[in-house]
Amino acid sequence: MSDIAAERLERWLGRILGVGAVTSTSLLAAGLVLQLVHVRPDVADTLTHAGLIILIATPVARVVASVVDFVMSRDWIFTALTGLVLVILLGSLLVAIR
Amino acid sequence: MAAGILGALLGLGGGVFLVPFMVLALHLPMRHAVAISLVTVIATSSVVTSIRMGRSLVNFRLGMLLEVATTAGGLAGGVIAIMLSQRTLQRMFGLMAVASAFAMLGRLEKRNVIVASDVDTGRLGGRYHENESGGVVSYRVKRVPVAMAASLAAGSLSSLLGVGGGIIKVPVLNAWCGVPLRAAAATSAFMIGVTATSGVVIYYGRGDVIPWMAAATALGVLAGSRTGFMMGERAKAKWLKLLLAAILAAVGVLMLARTR
Repeated sequence: MSDIAAERLERWLGRILGVGAVTSTSLLAAGLVLQLVHVRPDVADTLTHAGLIILIATPVARVVASVVDFVMSRDWIFTALTGLVLVILLGSLLVAIR
Repeated sequence: MAAGILGALLGLGGGVFLVPFMVLALHLPMRHAVAISLVTVIATSSVVTSIRMGRSLVNFRLGMLLEVATTAGGLAGGVIAIMLSQRTLQRMFGLMAVASAFAMLGRLEKRNVIVASDVDTGRLGGRYHENESGGVVSYRVKRVPVAMAASLAAGSLSSLLGVGGGIIKVPVLNAWCGVPLRAAAATSAFMIGVTATSGVVIYYGRGDVIPWMAAATALGVLAGSRTGFMMGERAKAKWLKLLLAAILAAVGVLMLARTR
C-alpha cells in the first residue's frame, strides 16, 4: 500500500471512530441526565440504548470502511482479513440472538 | 472514574480495576460487571484512537491482521463465559490480576529499545516520528505467529473477564515481535474496540448490559482517563508502576478471597 493510500485510510478511520464516539457519548450523557431528573424515563431509556448501540456499532463501521478501502485499492489479502473479522462479528451477533 | 484514572496511568483500559470495583463494592454479578466493562473498553478505544490519528503510531496493517485472532478469541470467550460459573470467572480474574502485577514488577527497569531509522520495514512494519528524540523510528515485525497466538489469548481473556487484553499483547509485541512500546500500545488500543465488540454483542443479547450503569461508567472512565493521562505525564514512572502493581495484586487477592 502506498503511503498516500495509507494516510487516506487512517484519516477515514479516525473520522469514523471520532464521530461514533462523540455521537454515542452525547446520547449516553443526555439519557443519563434525563434519567437523573426523572423527566420522561421512556425517552431517557431510548437515548441510552441508542447511545450504546452506536457505541458498539462504531468499531463495526470502522471494519466495514476498511473492507471497502482495501477493495478499492485492490489489496485482496487485507480485503480477506478484514472481511474475516466482519464474519466473526456476525458470528457473535448470531450467538447473541440465538 | 477512578478506574479510568488508574487505567490511563498504567496504559491499560480501565477494565482491570472497573470489574473488581463493580463486583466487590457494588456486589454486581460478574457477568454484568464484565459486560459493562467491555462497553467502556470500546468507548476508550474509539476515543483514544481517533485522537492519535495522523501520528502514524497505530500500525493499521498489523492491527487488522491481529484483529482476526482477537475477535475470534473474543467470540470464543463470550461463548465460554456463558458456560462458566460466577465463581470460576471471578477466580480467573483474580489470578489474571495477580499475574499482571508480577509481570509489571518484572518490567520495572525496562526501557524502550531505540530502533534504528533505516530498517527495511517489510510488509507489516511501521515508521513513526518520535517527539522526544526528534527522529524517525522504523521497525520490522518479527514472529507473526507468536503475535497471532498472543492476540487470540488476549481476545478470549477480554470477553471472559472484561479487560482490553493489552496486558498480554503489548508486552509480547514489544519483547518478541520487535514493535516499539508506544507503537505496540497504540496498536493494541486500536484493536481492543473491535475485540470487545465481538464479546459485548453476546452479553448485550443476553441482557447483561445494564444501560444506565454502562452509560455512567463509560462517561466516568472517559473523564477519568483524561485526568490520569495528565497525571501520568508528571508522576515518576517507577513509583507509579510500583504503586499500581501493589493495587493490582491486592485487587486480585480480594477477588480470589471473596468468591461467593
